[in-house]
Formats: sequence, C-alpha cells, structure tokens
Amino acid sequence: MNAIDPRIHQALDGELAPATLSGELRQAVERLVTAAALLATPIPAASLESRVMVLIRRPAPSRARRLLRWFVAPHAVTFRVRPVWSLAFAAVVALLTLFPMRREGPDIGEHEGIAQFVGRFPGAQSVHAVGSFNDWRPGSIALEDVDQDGVWRATVVLPAGAYEYMFVVDGERWVPDRLAERLVADEFGRENSIVIVRPARR
Amino acid sequence: MKLWLGLALVAGPLAAQSARARLEGRVPGAAIPVIDSLIQAASTEGLPTEPLIQKALEGGAKLVTAPRIVAAVEVSLGQLRDARDLLIRAGDEPPVTPGEVTTVTWALRRGLPRPVVERVLAALPRAPRAAAMHAVADLAAHHFDPDSAADLIIAAIGQGLQRERLLDVSAAAAHELQRGRSHAQALALVRGELPNVPASPKPTAGAVARARRPPAPTPP
Amino acid sequence: MDVTGAPSDAEVVARVLSGDGEAFALVVRRYEAGLLRFAARMLGGRDAAADAVAESFVRAYRHLASCRDPARLRTWLYRIVANRCKSHLARRPIADVSLDEAPPVADPSDTAASLERAEQLALVRRALARLSPEKREAFLLKHVEGLSYEEMAAVTGERIPTLKMRVHRAREALLQVLEEHE
Repeated sequence: MNAIDPRIHQALDGELAPATLSGELRQAVERLVTAAALLATPIPAASLESRVMVLIRRPAPSRARRLLRWFVAPHAVTFRVRPVWSLAFAAVVALLTLFPMRREGPDIGEHEGIAQFVGRFPGAQSVHAVGSFNDWRPGSIALEDVDQDGVWRATVVLPAGAYEYMFVVDGERWVPDRLAERLVADEFGRENSIVIVRPARR
Repeated sequence: MKLWLGLALVAGPLAAQSARARLEGRVPGAAIPVIDSLIQAASTEGLPTEPLIQKALEGGAKLVTAPRIVAAVEVSLGQLRDARDLLIRAGDEPPVTPGEVTTVTWALRRGLPRPVVERVLAALPRAPRAAAMHAVADLAAHHFDPDSAADLIIAAIGQGLQRERLLDVSAAAAHELQRGRSHAQALALVRGELPNVPASPKPTAGAVARARRPPAPTPP
Repeated sequence: MDVTGAPSDAEVVARVLSGDGEAFALVVRRYEAGLLRFAARMLGGRDAAADAVAESFVRAYRHLASCRDPARLRTWLYRIVANRCKSHLARRPIADVSLDEAPPVADPSDTAASLERAEQLALVRRALARLSPEKREAFLLKHVEGLSYEEMAAVTGERIPTLKMRVHRAREALLQVLEEHE
C-alpha cells in the first residue's frame, strides 16, 4: 500500500481547498469523494419500524420466569434420583400447579364494566386497542390470538361510558373496528369506532 | 359566593396545568400553547375539557401534524359549543352540565338531526340522557329513520325503561333486522314487546376472569 | 423541539423512559436509513444488515436508560450497530461480496449513466470489502455517515489519532483499487 500525498488527506479533511491542488491530486480527491457519494446511496429496504416495535413489545422474560416456565412445562425426563429428592421435586411441582401463575379476575367496581374487543387479522404480528379509554396510548391494550386462528381478542375492565377507539395492527396500521357497528369521524380524515361500556353490576 | 369565585379562579389555571402535563411529549410542542388556550376557553365557558384533551392526544398518537391537530381541537370546541346551545334551546337551564354537553356532542357527531336530539332531550327533562341518545343513534346507524328511532326510545322511556336498558331496546330492534325483518317490522315488533325487551347478556364468568385493567397512565 | 414541531432526540428518549414505549418508533424511523446503510456497507449484505440493525434497535430500547447523553443518541446508536457488525464479521470467514449485493442485471430501460453508476458502485463495494473491518468502519463513519472524529471516537472507543490513521490508510487502499481499475 503506497502512502499518498498528504495534501489529498488534507483536502479530504477539509483543511485544504481542493481547487488549490494540481490536476492529478485533485483527481484522486474526486475519485474518493465520488466513491463516498456512491456508498452513501440509501439501501432500498422496507422500514424496520414494525419489526422492531413488535420485538420491543414482547416482554423480555426475566430469568426467574424463564426458569419457572421450564419447570412447569411437561418434559420427557428420566433421571435417577434418590427417593427423598424425587419427593421434593414432586412437592415443588405440585405447589406450582396449585398456585397458577395467571392471576384471578379483577374486582369490578360499581361504575365499571367490561369491554370485549375482537377482530379478525390473519397474519398480524400484533393488534392493539387504542382510544379515549387509554389516552390513545398505542401500547397499553394488546389483543391476543391465543388459538393462532387469526382472531384477536382482549377483555378489559373500564369505567362505564362511551369511548372512541381504533385497532392498531402491527404497530402501524390504524383500522376501525368493523364489528362495532358504530362509527364516527375522527376529524383527521378517518373514522373511529365507538364502544359503550355498560356497568357490570346493574 | 366569594369562596366559590376564588375556587373558580384557581381551578382554571390548575386545570390547564394538568392538561399541559398530559399533552407534553405526546403532542407536537408547537401545538401545545394553542391547544392549551382552547382548553382554557372551554373551561371558562363551563364546557368539558376532556374531549379536547383526548382529541389532541389522538392526533399525537396518529402522528398528525401540529396544524391539523389544532384544527381538529378547534372543530371539537365548536361541537361542544353547538351542543351547549342546543341544550339551552331545548330548555336546560344554564350553566348546562358538562356531562350533558358531552352526550349531545356524541349525538350530533353520530349524525342525529338536531330536531331528533331536541325531542329526546325534551322526553327526558332530567339528566342523564347518554344511554337514550346512544340508543337512538344506534338505531340510526342501522338505517332506521331517526324520527322513528326516537319514537321507539321515547315510547320505551314512557314505559319506565331507563339508562342502559334503553340500549337493550335498540339492540332488540337490530336483532330483528338480522332475523330478516324489515325496519318497519322490527320497530313494530319491539314496540309490542315493551317494556319486556330481552336484557343483553351479562359478561360470562370466564370473560370476567380474563378481564384485565389497562395499565394506569404513567404520571408525567 | 425544532421548527417543524418534531420532538428532539432528548425529548423522545425522555418520553420512552417515562413509559411511552411506542415513542421509540420515532427513533427507528429517524435513524434506520443511515444505520442500515452503514451496516450494509460493513457486512456486504442487506439482509444481514437488516437483522443487525433491528437487533441493535431492540438492544438500544432495552438499555435506553444507559444512554448517558440523549442529545447524542445518534452516536450511541451507531456504536451499538458498529459493535454488532464487528462481532458478526469476527464470526464469519472472509467473504466476497454476497449474492444479494451483486450488481443488478441490466434492465433495457436502464440508461447508460445508471448502468455505469451501478458498475462503479459495485467496484467501490468490492474495494471496501478488501479493507479490514476497522479501516472499513473508519472510512464509512467519516465519509459516508458524516461523523466528526469526536463522534467517531464515541462510536468506536478509539482515540482520534488512531481513527485518523485508519481513515488515511482506508483512503489509500481504496484509491489504489480504484486507480487499478481505471
């Protein structure tokens, strides 16, 4: 590798005006500037936004959680243990299944009710309900497709009343809830759905 | 009287302060001062401010530009003022209840003609009219003629049905449509059933067990 | 906040750290093009670059609280991507330009100028691939991503004189290849 005239470096570092250079040196500067410009062409690619947002919405499981999941899931394991240890193992498994990880349903207050959100979005990676019940925060109410059949659901406790909302699919597509049968203009060129939450007690 | 005035003077800026705090970081900064002044105006006029805050938050979440968010909040304020005027014309004594302003705003936004809204207000001289209004609007959304829809709901009110039970009336009429009846038949059928329209099913125990509360918004 | 009303990086970071995770989408949108280009030029392939950058964003989100100066978010992101690229390169054997970066098949509608440009780009990419990862990184950060030497020091953890030397050597090596193919 040959060292080049230091003035080329100076020109490229902005310490020397290229116009002051002789023909050959100026050509070298231009070659490198052109090469950089060519490399600066943007890479044609789809936006990474939805891919990234789906990944960050998945909670990173804590080590304890992961360990627990392994423990509770069925495993085909044969191992020789001393009888006393196998009893201890059985006791721990029994304990874990007696106290399911999923918490029981909430106490519903007098002026609260339940809203059930359902939508068909086959192929979706995530679906959220976003509206005036959660200050239009896109992440806070996630629907789930438990059966992997493309039907996403969420059941939410909310104060009784009427709310506007939309579904956000894959973090970027805003769609009204077609099943809701109540639509209203959002003043932004689209339509929101309306859900009316009735008090559960009455 | 003095204490009340004092509270009113303090409540204005305090309300604005908490509105600002909810908008910061969610709505483009350039829009916040203008939206703030619109919220202040609503507050001074005794109108509900929450619809304006929600509209701004909605615009921020939908990544709408600052000028369009401001325009939408202005439209919303205009709707609130319209609703207030309608309430006063229909006989509500000023100052009108903010909750009723919200109710009438919903009704107008959902496309109910003003005369129909006024009829429902007159049929229920005392608040709250939210369920009645939504019930009529639900019927209109199913392409029932708004006046006929109001007839049905007003008849239900006359038979002692109130609040959420009125939503059962519109649900029953929609159900008849699904069964293949015409709009006229559906109305007649449900009218004949009053006051014994079927109640909507309560959420199942499974649904209740599954229900989650959305996380509380983090304080700004 | 700038005149267009878009929140500054510091504002967006504050939003995310105070619980509005969705605001991170703004960060992705703002920086993905530059980071993707940098990673693609480092790794020689678009798909590998997309993986590296997506993983880097996720890592950045999870460690956002450790970004000491949110006003220099961009530099911090480049650091994460640069490290990821270097680990990736250390693991794999030296490869030629990968298939998905091969020069595009000529399209009859291509003008002579765009064809020539495509060939030139292919040449430059091959030249770049012959540089060691450190020199390649230095050239790309300086001349393609437009970072200052101070910013490059923050990205690489190297001292400025070291970086200057790497950039100089990179220029020399590239010039040699470009002149050979006159």
